Amino acid sequence: MPDRTSSLVTPPEPPDTEENVYVDVYRLLIAGMIVSSILFALGIVLSLLHPLYIPLSTRWVRSQYHVTTVVHGIMHGDPTAILLVATVLLILTPVARVVVSIVAFLVDHDYKFVVVTSIVFLVMVITVILGELGLT
Amino acid sequence: MTYSLHFVLLLLAAAGVAGFFGALLGVGGGIFIVPAMVLAFRLPMKIAVAASVVSVIATSNAGGSSYVDQRITNLRLAMFLEVLTTTGALTGSVLALYLNEWVMSLIFAIMLGYMAWAAYTTRKLDDERIASGDFARAQPDRITGYLGLRGSYHDLAASKDVEYVVNGAPVGMSIAYLAGITSGLLGVGGGVLKVSAMNRYMNVPMKVSVGTSKLMIGVTAAVSSILFFLAGLIHFFVVAPVALGTTIGANVGTLVMNRLHSVVLKRIFTVLMLYLAYEMFAKALELGFHWHLPSLG
Repeated sequence: MPDRTSSLVTPPEPPDTEENVYVDVYRLLIAGMIVSSILFALGIVLSLLHPLYIPLSTRWVRSQYHVTTVVHGIMHGDPTAILLVATVLLILTPVARVVVSIVAFLVDHDYKFVVVTSIVFLVMVITVILGELGLT
Repeated sequence: MTYSLHFVLLLLAAAGVAGFFGALLGVGGGIFIVPAMVLAFRLPMKIAVAASVVSVIATSNAGGSSYVDQRITNLRLAMFLEVLTTTGALTGSVLALYLNEWVMSLIFAIMLGYMAWAAYTTRKLDDERIASGDFARAQPDRITGYLGLRGSYHDLAASKDVEYVVNGAPVGMSIAYLAGITSGLLGVGGGVLKVSAMNRYMNVPMKVSVGTSKLMIGVTAAVSSILFFLAGLIHFFVVAPVALGTTIGANVGTLVMNRLHSVVLKRIFTVLMLYLAYEMFAKALELGFHWHLPSLG
């Protein structure tokens, strides 16, 4: 039988590097917010300079998902490509936060939370796989 | 959809107001921006939900970072509950892909009704619990004991360090899963449910619950966003003004939040949410059965 009482009496010491985890997370959240906001604003301004009709369909949206189209679009200041990059960046900010946390818990030798955080990351990976399998 | 200056400015303004009100109320902007997009801008429910859930990430980044700065978040508790909220978000967003729009509108109306009730009946037990030291005396359960989930923060209002021991994991985890489903299905942050799970059932002080919830919301919303993105539901031209507007609104709202009297605000928001609940209910009947209820607007 696992010794439960010991963990009640002596809880794990708060790791020294916890402060650093907070600082990393903080910087990441701020950076993601600022960069994606700037790109959203830029994309909106550019799209208003050349008003266009945009289909409200999922097919149109998915037709934009090509690396070469996006890279070409960014080079030529195409608002669609800029807004796509801003959206992806915003979605990836929390994903990056999870990855940073896994590393931070590893550095702390807090392996229980390496496992917990890895499960969260795994759910994200499963989501991508489900999305790719179910929708193509 | 013609992408005119008119459309962009109005959507930006609506999202700004939603983000501002959301921050004042301590919830995300989702509960206001989704009805605004559906009722006023006549956008399809699924496009509105997808755009809202992306903007939820933006507001979580905005609000969450200031809470991280104040060190009143519990990063480990957040990660632990995120296992449940992300699984719930995956469940909810898969449901959103397959459910009819009228069903989603109906569920949204029910959620708004619940939120109105929750905002009206908010309890203020925290001060007593802090003063009596109840937060520190609680016994952890098997799971929170194993993970060593506890913490302390400096409470400015009570001007003392408040220690707390997390317990009630089974109930907390169930509500966290439900919060994830709500987030993925309706495009909201689900913060009210997460805060209530932590504060009412897991022995976590209110301020820590709110800060930790804000941090969790972004990761939860990212999961639904990934699925919606792959499905092509995240329309960049709708997302841009919505995300930008809510980010600005939420930041301004967080700044002024502490200077306003919250009791009067809560009464006003209760009425507003009841109104939106009625309008979303009417929308659901219109989409599902072509029944037209009289509009109150």
